[in-house]
Amino acid sequence: MKQAFAASLPIILGYIVLGIPCGVLCQKAGMDFWMVVAMSMLFYSGAGQYMIPNMWLAGVPLPSLITSVILINTRQLLYGSALSPFCNKVSKGKAVAMAGGVTDESFGVNLAKFQSGEWKVSQAGLVNGFSQSSWAIANMAGFIIGGVFSFDTAIASFAMTSIFLCLLMMQRKRVDHFIAGACAAIGVIACKMIGLAGPAILIGALIGVAAGLIAGRRYKDEDTETEEAADALV
Amino acid sequence: MPWSSFLIIFACCAVSMYICRVLPAFAFAGKELPASLVKALNYIPVAAFAALVANDLVSVEAFATGLWPALLPFAAAIPVIIVALKTKSLALCIIVGVACYALLLLI
Repeated sequence: MKQAFAASLPIILGYIVLGIPCGVLCQKAGMDFWMVVAMSMLFYSGAGQYMIPNMWLAGVPLPSLITSVILINTRQLLYGSALSPFCNKVSKGKAVAMAGGVTDESFGVNLAKFQSGEWKVSQAGLVNGFSQSSWAIANMAGFIIGGVFSFDTAIASFAMTSIFLCLLMMQRKRVDHFIAGACAAIGVIACKMIGLAGPAILIGALIGVAAGLIAGRRYKDEDTETEEAADALV
Repeated sequence: MPWSSFLIIFACCAVSMYICRVLPAFAFAGKELPASLVKALNYIPVAAFAALVANDLVSVEAFATGLWPALLPFAAAIPVIIVALKTKSLALCIIVGVACYALLLLI
């Protein structure tokens, strides 16, 4: 519990910085308080909760607004997949409960903890819970003060960029990982240039994974090594 | 925002989000995964964070308004990268990043 809270602290800091302007924005878009509460409890997506009021204010028609948000949501498929090898000792229900609260940031923090060992699925769930609570409280606070203050959302959203940069720097630094990251970044930029901003992160990341697999063929991870040794015996 | 529009947006976004979050856990959790799949999963973090960073730093529209607005996020990213490599502290990265970004906006 204590460790989970300590691991959540940077996320909480980031979510307060980002969550308050999000609440302000929702208030400006003419949402009701219960809408903000419902979104932070049941939708819980930083990017999505910024997009909805922004696109609503811009007068984007509902079908394209919804499609854009769904496309942004799809990257979550990657996080659940990457965390699943660490969930093979718990029940499916527990794994699903934990996966249901994952975000970009809590994925990064929990994955680093899982990789360093001695991290439980229940602790990962706690990190998600602490993070979501701070997000919901910040959203509500932002909504309440929304009538009085206005924020520069660009500055606030750089808090998340800083988190992503830090998590990126904490990854393994082998050649194939560099290539995976570089190709993912190029993929995202290419998608945005041809107007595919919605699925850019998912497509870019998948290109990066494919590039990493190609570049990493000559490296043998522990698992593949034993498998190949077994093949050689046959 | 009328509550009818909100409910349509909210239901579609929340349901699709929940499916994307738990579908892999339904498919993969509790199973011994094939080594080739695990190898691919290992590249997800670096690819996903590189994609998120690129998505945040590169703005196609900013280039239309001038070189400096487009380069500003990159300039603010440099100190964050240095702090990240030196300290591995998420909290310090947030503080340095937001402070640098705000300072650069003043220039």
